[in-house]
Amino acid sequence: MATVLELGSDKASSLAGEVMARSGQNLSACYQCRRCASGCPVGEQTGYLTPDRLIRMIVLGKRDAALDNPLIWKCVSCYTCGTRCPNDIMTARVVDTLKKMAHEHRIRPSSPKVAAFHSSFIAAAKRAGRLNELSFMGRYTMKNTLGGLARLRLRGIIQDQKDQAGFGLVLLRKGRVHFLPQKIKNRRQFKRLMRKGRAWAGSVSKSPASQE
Amino acid sequence: MELAYYPGCSLKASTEIYDEQCKRVLSAVGINLHEMDNWNCCGSTSASKTDDFLAVALPARNLGIADASDYSGMVVPCSCCYNRLLSAQKVLQTDQSLLDTINEELTDKITGKTKILTVLEAIQFAAKSGDLTKNVVKKLEGLKAACYYGCMLTRFPYDMAASDDVENPQGMETILKALGASPLDWGYKTECCGASAAVNDKDTAFKLMSRIMKDAVARQANCFVTSCPMCQLNLDAFQKKIGTIYGIDRELPVYFITELLGVAFGMPAGELGLDQHFADSTTLLKELNLYE
Ligand code: SF4
Ligand code: SF4
Repeated sequence: MATVLELGSDKASSLAGEVMARSGQNLSACYQCRRCASGCPVGEQTGYLTPDRLIRMIVLGKRDAALDNPLIWKCVSCYTCGTRCPNDIMTARVVDTLKKMAHEHRIRPSSPKVAAFHSSFIAAAKRAGRLNELSFMGRYTMKNTLGGLARLRLRGIIQDQKDQAGFGLVLLRKGRVHFLPQKIKNRRQFKRLMRKGRAWAGSVSKSPASQE
Repeated sequence: MELAYYPGCSLKASTEIYDEQCKRVLSAVGINLHEMDNWNCCGSTSASKTDDFLAVALPARNLGIADASDYSGMVVPCSCCYNRLLSAQKVLQTDQSLLDTINEELTDKITGKTKILTVLEAIQFAAKSGDLTKNVVKKLEGLKAACYYGCMLTRFPYDMAASDDVENPQGMETILKALGASPLDWGYKTECCGASAAVNDKDTAFKLMSRIMKDAVARQANCFVTSCPMCQLNLDAFQKKIGTIYGIDRELPVYFITELLGVAFGMPAGELGLDQHFADSTTLLKELNLYE
């Protein structure tokens, strides 16, 4: 990340402004002390792209890099970065904001399986009101397989299927798989609440997170 | 004490044993759990990664049901559900317009009155009133426990108070000492197990868990103890595989705090579901004469 400072560019202020408003995090308070970096458990997996570097990237207006990098998909939401930051910057929320922005800009995630997992999870929870592990895993595996096919990753698909099936079988043997789907009652009202988000997002320019 | 109870999805699926244990063990110490009617999925961390509104609305609907009930407190055993419910409560304290938007669609309105509790807090209530030790029929002597808390019990995405020390919580240690066990000092008690990465990004999750396992083994722990169903499932189900990859030659049982309470209270192992673990969970207890 050999970057020369390009201060004061409009690009920089618009990216940082958008991320700050949506994540509710004051990135201009970051003084690059790297306490977040020393606590981030996925540093080795991101090629040492640590929270401090992500913040610097945003502040400098590196939009492409900020929306397409390993940390936003490798982050495990452990919240260590934020609890250790002397300036109360919760990078995990910045990471979540960038995930949503990347999705809105149709940028293909560097870890498609992670993205497929979370969108399948939410789709399943919205449909039944509760998460049914069987149907959720089915949907997730299907999404992965289709994604893998589109990218011609056949060997990866086969390995994934084996891993998934293996894990499923062990759960089954231990009597830990449930076939009776869980659903909530009065799903019509529940779905109305789920849909309310669209109107709400249109009426406010900020995320609920920005209320800190 | 009568409390509301939010089991969450995993306690109604792959981790049903924890659901059973919580109800049995807490009722033995005088706390009766009443499962809330028609609760829904909390959205887990997936909601906050995909949709700002759902990240609050999904857990919030449950807060409404709890607030409309007669109970002043609600026990939430899953650390992730606990984290989401408490975070939503915190957000709605300060965001009136979001609160109004959500309440408009709810029959049971959110008032914010319910105190959300972890299982550890509930057990500690019982400990304070003496209901814990008077039930102990077997001292858990010889159990060298690495108490593993993971992320979600003490760290939140919002700036809010945790129920225990953020990086060195003592809830499980306090309970286990009261039962005669010897919890260890160790360095990875609040490190992340990888959570859903165990399914969608195995290399990352296995690396994180290998560090946790190595530290516990190096300090000569003979078991892990946890209160989170996700942490339990991950460490339990993948320990053998991770051990092979990272050259760790010991596999430790991963107990729920509730099942150790059950053992100390003399509850039959079958009732506690000790046989539904992946790693061998009974040999150690037999060696210590805690289980026939
Ligand atoms: S800990 Fe906070 S101030 Fe320090 S580098 Fe990280 S985000 Fe910046
Ligand atoms: S929440 Fe994400 S970015 Fe923050 S320390 Fe954990 S893994 Fe790193």
